[in-house]
Amino acid sequence: MSQVLSVDHLSISFGGLRAVDDLSFHIDRHEIYGLIGPNGAGKTTVFNCITQFYKPDTGEIRFTDQAGKEHLLNGMPAHKIIHLGLVRTFQNTEIIRELPIIDNVLLGAHTQFHAGTMANMFAMPWARKQERELRKKAMDVLAYVGLDKIANEYAGAQPYGVLKLIELGRTLMCDPSLIILDEPAGGLNDSETERLTELIRGIARDRHCAILLVEHDMKLVMSLCDRICAISFGKKLAEGTAAEIQQNPLVQDAYLGKEDEA
Amino acid sequence: MRLIRNKYFQYLLVGVVFLLPVIIRGVPTATVTLAASMVYTAIAALGINVLLGYSGQISLGHAAFMGLSAYLSAYLTKQMDLPFLLSVLIAVLVPMLIGLILGAIAVRLEGFYLAIATLGFGEILRQLFIEMDWFTGGFSGASATYPKVFGHTMSKNEMYIFMVCLLVVLMMLVYNFVHSSSGRAMIAMKSSKTAAMAMGVNVFKYKLTSFAISSVFAGLAGVCYVHFFRHVDPSVWTAALSLNLIAIVVIGGLGTVGGAVVGAVVMHGLPELMKGLPVVGEIPGVPLLIVGILMIVMLIFYPRGLIYIPRDIKNFFQKRASRAKKGEA
Repeated sequence: MSQVLSVDHLSISFGGLRAVDDLSFHIDRHEIYGLIGPNGAGKTTVFNCITQFYKPDTGEIRFTDQAGKEHLLNGMPAHKIIHLGLVRTFQNTEIIRELPIIDNVLLGAHTQFHAGTMANMFAMPWARKQERELRKKAMDVLAYVGLDKIANEYAGAQPYGVLKLIELGRTLMCDPSLIILDEPAGGLNDSETERLTELIRGIARDRHCAILLVEHDMKLVMSLCDRICAISFGKKLAEGTAAEIQQNPLVQDAYLGKEDEA
Repeated sequence: MRLIRNKYFQYLLVGVVFLLPVIIRGVPTATVTLAASMVYTAIAALGINVLLGYSGQISLGHAAFMGLSAYLSAYLTKQMDLPFLLSVLIAVLVPMLIGLILGAIAVRLEGFYLAIATLGFGEILRQLFIEMDWFTGGFSGASATYPKVFGHTMSKNEMYIFMVCLLVVLMMLVYNFVHSSSGRAMIAMKSSKTAAMAMGVNVFKYKLTSFAISSVFAGLAGVCYVHFFRHVDPSVWTAALSLNLIAIVVIGGLGTVGGAVVGAVVMHGLPELMKGLPVVGEIPGVPLLIVGILMIVMLIFYPRGLIYIPRDIKNFFQKRASRAKKGEA
C-alpha cells in the first residue's frame, strides 16, 4: 500500500527541552491514524512540524500527493503546504470570528481562487463566477457537516461544537489527501463526539482521504483509528492497532504510571 | 427597497449628497471647500481602512504619502508641463512603491513597533519636503493649478465634482475587494494569522497588498488636495494628519466601507458646526474642546463606529414592533 506521509527521525527542541525525540512513523493512503500520548507528550508539536509552523531540528517529512509525486516538506513555507493536499485543524480552533460561517469555509478554498487584487477590485465577471462556484461547493460542504442552515451567521457567535465543525468543513474545501485533526472532539459532549466520529469515518471513506488525528477521547481513537502511535516525552512508545496498543505494557505505564511507583 | 439595500446605489447616493453644494445655487464657496476637505480625507481614510480595518496593519506615515503625491503632481504639471492624467499616474505609483517597501518592513514588525517605524518614516519624508527646496518650495510650499484634461481647464466646482466621482468609484472598488477572495484572506490574516497561513494565505503578499492599496489611496487624496487648494506646504502632512485618518476610520467604523466617509464628514463637519454655535463658538478653542468631548462620548457609546447607528435604530424599532405584536397576542 502506498504511503501518503512519512516522518523519519523527527526531532525538535525548545531551549533545553526535547519536545519531539527521534520520532518516525508513516501513514498509508486512506488510513485513519491516531497519535496519542499523555499531556505534554509533544503531539501538537509533531503536527506543527509536519505543517511547517515549526522548523524541525532534524528528520525528514515527506508527503506524496494525489498524483503520486513525493514532496519533502522540510523548509517549505507554511502557506504552501495546503497546495499539496495536506490540511489541518487546530486544537483550540482558529476561526475567523468576524466572517460568516460560509466565508470561513470558503477560506479553505483560498488557493483555488485565480483572481488577483485587481481582478477582485474591478469584480471581473470570471472572478465573480468562480466565487459563485466555490460558494456553492462551500454550501455542499456545510450541508455535509450539517451547518448549511446557519451558513450566513457569524462564526463568532457560534458555540464551540459548531466552531469545530466549521474547521472540519474548511479542511474539505481543498480536496485534501491528508487531513490533520488536532483534538477534534476536545470540548464536545458525548452525542456531539459520536456524530463527529461518524463524520470523520465518512470523510475518510467518501473522500478517499487519510486522516491523522490527536485525541484524548480514547473511545473515539480506539473505534476510529486503523493504527495508533503512542508517544511520551516526544518518544515513540508503541505503534499498532487499537487492540495492540491497549495491551501494550509501556503504554499502560505511561498513562497510568508504573505499579511500583504507586 | 431592494435598490436601497444595493451597496452601489448607496455609494451613488453618497455621491449625490456630496454634490448638493454645487447643485444648489447660492451655496457659499466656503461650504464647497469644507466638503472638498471631507472628500479628500475620506479617500485617504478609505485606504487606511483597508490597511487598519481589514488587514490589521497600522501606519502613522500615510500623511507623508499624501504630501508626496501632492508635491509630485504639482511639480509634474507645473514645472514639467506633463498632462494631468499622466502626472496623477506617476504621483500615485511613486507612493505605491514606497508603500510596498513599508509593507515589507511590516512583515517583520507588528503593532506598536510598526506604528513607530511608520511614524519615523513619515517624519523623514516631511523633513525632505522642507529641505528639498527645488522640488517642494521649502517652507513656503509649492503651487498648482486646477487640472487641465483634454484641453479643458477645470473650474473649482468641476474639480470638486471630479473628486466626488473618484470617491464613489473608490468606495465601489473597496467594496468589491473586501467581498472577494482577497478581502477574505486579508480579514483572515488580521483575525488569525495561523489559520490564514494553514489555509494557504501568503501573509507577506497580503501585507504588501494592503500597504500598496492604502498608499495609492493616500496618493490620490494628495493629488485631489493639491489641485483643489492649488497650494501645498509641509505644515499639512504631519503625523497629526496620520492620526486623524486613524481617528476617522475608528469613529466612522473600522472594517466598513462607509465608515471612512462618515468619519471624515464628522471630523471635518463637527468643528465647523461648533464654530457656528452662538457664544461657545466664538470663544477660541472651545469648539475643538467640545468636538474632543463628543468624540470620547461617541467612542464610549459607539465603539464599533457611527456607521452602525442606522442599523441599531432599525433594530430598535423592529424589536419594539415585534414586542408590540406579542403584546396583542
